[in-house]
Amino acid sequence: MKNKRLIGAAAAVLAVSAALTGCSGSSQSQADGSKTIKVVYSDANSAALVSWFTEVTAEFEKSNPNITVDLEPIKGAVSDYYTKLALMNSNPSTAPDVIYEDSFQLKSDAEAGYLAPLDTNLAAWADWSQYSDSVKQAGQGSDGKTYGVSVGTDARALWYNKDIFAKAGISVPWQPKTWEDVLNAARTIKAAVPDVTPMNVYSGAAIGEGASTQGFLMLDYGAQNGGLTDSSGKWLTGSTGFVNSLDFINTVYSEKLGYGPQVTSSTTYSTQVRTQDLPAGKLAIDLDGSYIPQNWGATAAQPWPDWTNVMGVAAMPTETGQAPAQNSISGGWTLAVGAKTKAQDAAFSFISTALNKDNAQKLAIDYSLIPVRQDVSTDPAYLASNQNAAFFAGLIPDTHFRPATSQYSQVSNQIQVATEAVMTGQQSPADAAKAYDTAVTGIVGADNTTTGK
Amino acid sequence: MSLSSPSGRGVRLTSNAVLLLIALTFIAPLVWLVLASLNSTASLSAELPGTPTLDNFAQVLTPALSFVPLWNSFLISAGSALITVVVAILAAYPLSRFKTRFNKPFLYGVLFATGLPITAMMVPVYSLFVRIGLVDSLLGTIFFMATSSLPIAIWMTKNFVDGVPTSLEEAAWMDGASSMRTLRSVVVPLMRPGIAVVFIYVFIHSWGNFFVPFVLLLSPEKQPASVSIYTFFGENGAIAYGQLAAYSLVYSIPVLVLYVIISRGVGGSSALAGAVKG
Amino acid sequence: MTSSATTAADHPLRARRIGVLRARTLARSVPLLPAIVLIAIFLVGPIISSFYGSFTNSSLTGSAAQNPSFVGFDNYVNLFKSPGFPGAVILTVIFIFGSAVIGQNVVGMLLAALMRSGGRVVGAIVGTAVVAAWVLPEIVSAFAAYAFFSEEGTFNNLLSLVGIDGPNWLFTFPMLSVILANIWRGTAFSMLVYSAALQDVPPEITEAAEMDGASGAKRFFLITLPMIRGSISTNLMLTTLQTLSVFTLIFVMTGGGPGTASTTLPLLAYQEAFKFSQLGYGTAIATILLLVGAVFSFIYIRALKPEVD
Repeated sequence: MKNKRLIGAAAAVLAVSAALTGCSGSSQSQADGSKTIKVVYSDANSAALVSWFTEVTAEFEKSNPNITVDLEPIKGAVSDYYTKLALMNSNPSTAPDVIYEDSFQLKSDAEAGYLAPLDTNLAAWADWSQYSDSVKQAGQGSDGKTYGVSVGTDARALWYNKDIFAKAGISVPWQPKTWEDVLNAARTIKAAVPDVTPMNVYSGAAIGEGASTQGFLMLDYGAQNGGLTDSSGKWLTGSTGFVNSLDFINTVYSEKLGYGPQVTSSTTYSTQVRTQDLPAGKLAIDLDGSYIPQNWGATAAQPWPDWTNVMGVAAMPTETGQAPAQNSISGGWTLAVGAKTKAQDAAFSFISTALNKDNAQKLAIDYSLIPVRQDVSTDPAYLASNQNAAFFAGLIPDTHFRPATSQYSQVSNQIQVATEAVMTGQQSPADAAKAYDTAVTGIVGADNTTTGK
Repeated sequence: MSLSSPSGRGVRLTSNAVLLLIALTFIAPLVWLVLASLNSTASLSAELPGTPTLDNFAQVLTPALSFVPLWNSFLISAGSALITVVVAILAAYPLSRFKTRFNKPFLYGVLFATGLPITAMMVPVYSLFVRIGLVDSLLGTIFFMATSSLPIAIWMTKNFVDGVPTSLEEAAWMDGASSMRTLRSVVVPLMRPGIAVVFIYVFIHSWGNFFVPFVLLLSPEKQPASVSIYTFFGENGAIAYGQLAAYSLVYSIPVLVLYVIISRGVGGSSALAGAVKG
Repeated sequence: MTSSATTAADHPLRARRIGVLRARTLARSVPLLPAIVLIAIFLVGPIISSFYGSFTNSSLTGSAAQNPSFVGFDNYVNLFKSPGFPGAVILTVIFIFGSAVIGQNVVGMLLAALMRSGGRVVGAIVGTAVVAAWVLPEIVSAFAAYAFFSEEGTFNNLLSLVGIDGPNWLFTFPMLSVILANIWRGTAFSMLVYSAALQDVPPEITEAAEMDGASGAKRFFLITLPMIRGSISTNLMLTTLQTLSVFTLIFVMTGGGPGTASTTLPLLAYQEAFKFSQLGYGTAIATILLLVGAVFSFIYIRALKPEVD
């Protein structure tokens, strides 16, 4: 009786196999006259983005009946999305036609031959004039060709809790003029409201890229002689701006104005800041992204409707208040066309539909992005959608984008190491900066570095 | 197997006490999962929810979030476990019963392959799948998952086959039965617990594997639960702990149930032990 | 699982058939074919390709993605020169030793032995509790362990019941936390293997020893353990090799930190290959990982001599 078990098992394998081959590979077919374009994007817990892509696709298919859009959201962490994109792009049969591409990966993906230049298409696109030069640059490869069209950007600034400020006797609206002003406010809060964390500057390795983008670079690009590269793209070593930025972090942590290592070393550091401590009124000042209110909206896990009254926002000042007085770091995503596409015009046509004024505005409102189209950023409906809209739009002229080269992620890792060494008191700012210089020279090669001031 | 000596009762009591203590230790980390899943404002602490609610479950139990991914997980895991078990039994039998010069290097090779970091080789695997047209195919993914568990499965199965005494096969051999027939009618029934262990082992591994299906499957509707669970890890640090816990339970319970069913089926009366007493 | 490889070696039929045509041997190996074909297609090819990749500067993005070039032993040289590497090797060995060799094996054996002398119901309860941790998908158990050891987590809640104010375990004792978590997650496997092995020990043997007045512990260490030596060595190898590539558990719990305090080789390889897109370099680390596994396996094979054929 039992001796039929193996045969049974084998038969089951065959049956499952047959069933599965039947349903696999069905989406690949391509009809004669019509085209199919494949659109991929990262579906990292953002319902707003999913519904935006779905709506845009429906609109596009309606106005282009001969084009079918194969929309592929990719789940998983954003870093896994990069990996999957690279794999898909490496083979013509799986390479997507339209790619939701992080501006930060764009240059190196263009170098890798994954992206198609869009210059010809853009020259014929009337809306291109709505984009400012700095935004256009964010979509350029190192060869000067344009590979991506920005869907919107973000910025970083000082979020502060007005209730705590009132308790500490600091008048609001608050706008510090120098780094020292920021530190002094934190010191005042520490003295007056002892049970809250005065200030958060993301630092250390646990938070990863956040320690660079939200933390260190917000200082370094606003420091005298700061910035990671010179105007020609060579990496700065021996820069005083770098040391001074680390010095700021040193002050925050050595004077215990920031979080203790137990929080900063946790892999859910930013979750604690955004979903627990800010709503609970346990953190006074947070140097953080323009998008953090999405943690408090009606669809969030724990909505916090009162944030609009409690949370104020101020620009991060430059080190000594030197021009342009404020600093910000921006990132953001673009739409790009895959280099292996057989339907470049259809793919670009999708992008131009997705980023027309209405759709770009919808994304800016629903996904809390800072719009990059001039007609959207001045649109009353957009300005009315977000109480901080005008404020963040005002940061964009002075914002900086991270050096989007393939080496940046390694350099950024060294920045995280340096901030951690300073934050934990293992190294002085000068020593940590020296270690960074050595590491960066090792990563990019001595030819690609230059000595800063 | 009861101990009837005077000290037996004492031994049993101590054993039970120690066992229960260990059981508590093992259950403790799971308490949070259960409590958080019933709490609409869950945090990382295990606290009793003020008003227990099933809201978290209501939110995750949708076709797109739960049912389709779980069904895919089932297809992938059951498919690869089945293939692995069948192929491993076929391979293990000759390896156990017939001595050839080929056995030793093969077994050491297989053993060594159990330690392969599969993640590190997914890039060439992807190119391979593209070349043979298996990307985005559930069946291809199943075969790859089966193969990646095959080394450890062959190793384990061979040990189980070794444990089946050959005396029982001799009768069948004498009757002139082929080795395959002997395998089917004598060996396999005797090593059912072993087969169950291998099946569960492969099933669980496939059920929890994120990277392989993530890389090899493109269509979102083919992705298993191990991939869709990432919906609950926020992009900008927002983690809905309650929903994450609820989804974790929804995602884990099928494997727990499977384990209970299979271990009930083979565990109680141990075919292996019975055969030894003969 | 037993060491009764002797049953195969002493196969009476085998003896009788000595000298039969070689073709016979070949025919007997036919059932091995499906395994060989699958492994050849899906594992051997990619392994060779990965190994070759560790001698190139291949990358997921950037210009090297288009035209990877052969760099000889550069990746390995750089790896050995890099300051983080020795630490990662040591942490990997500590992790294997603490969680697999000691933790899972000892606890698994203890459970298996106790379940033989304990009550049936208690055994079932304990078995279920231990297996539940093992059955959980890796990401779920990783997150459960993260919540358990976090500062406001269950572990500290329990400690506060007895008046201890526990630290943030993940920060203060990152390696201890991930080792304990891996013991929690992996012990079931050893328990199942050892339960099966102990079941195969003929009761007559231990009973005879009992007659001779040997104490329980003595019987266990002098008679039972040597009899299941084969299972022990197999299990040591399998748990070691599985533990070697543990990634998700550590990644979710500590992310390899604080600093690099829990960065084992798989985390280092992931960071280089996927975070920094240095595929070739990452594969070189994976190759070293395999070597570490080989060293452990070699030691077990030498020390315990499992009869493999």
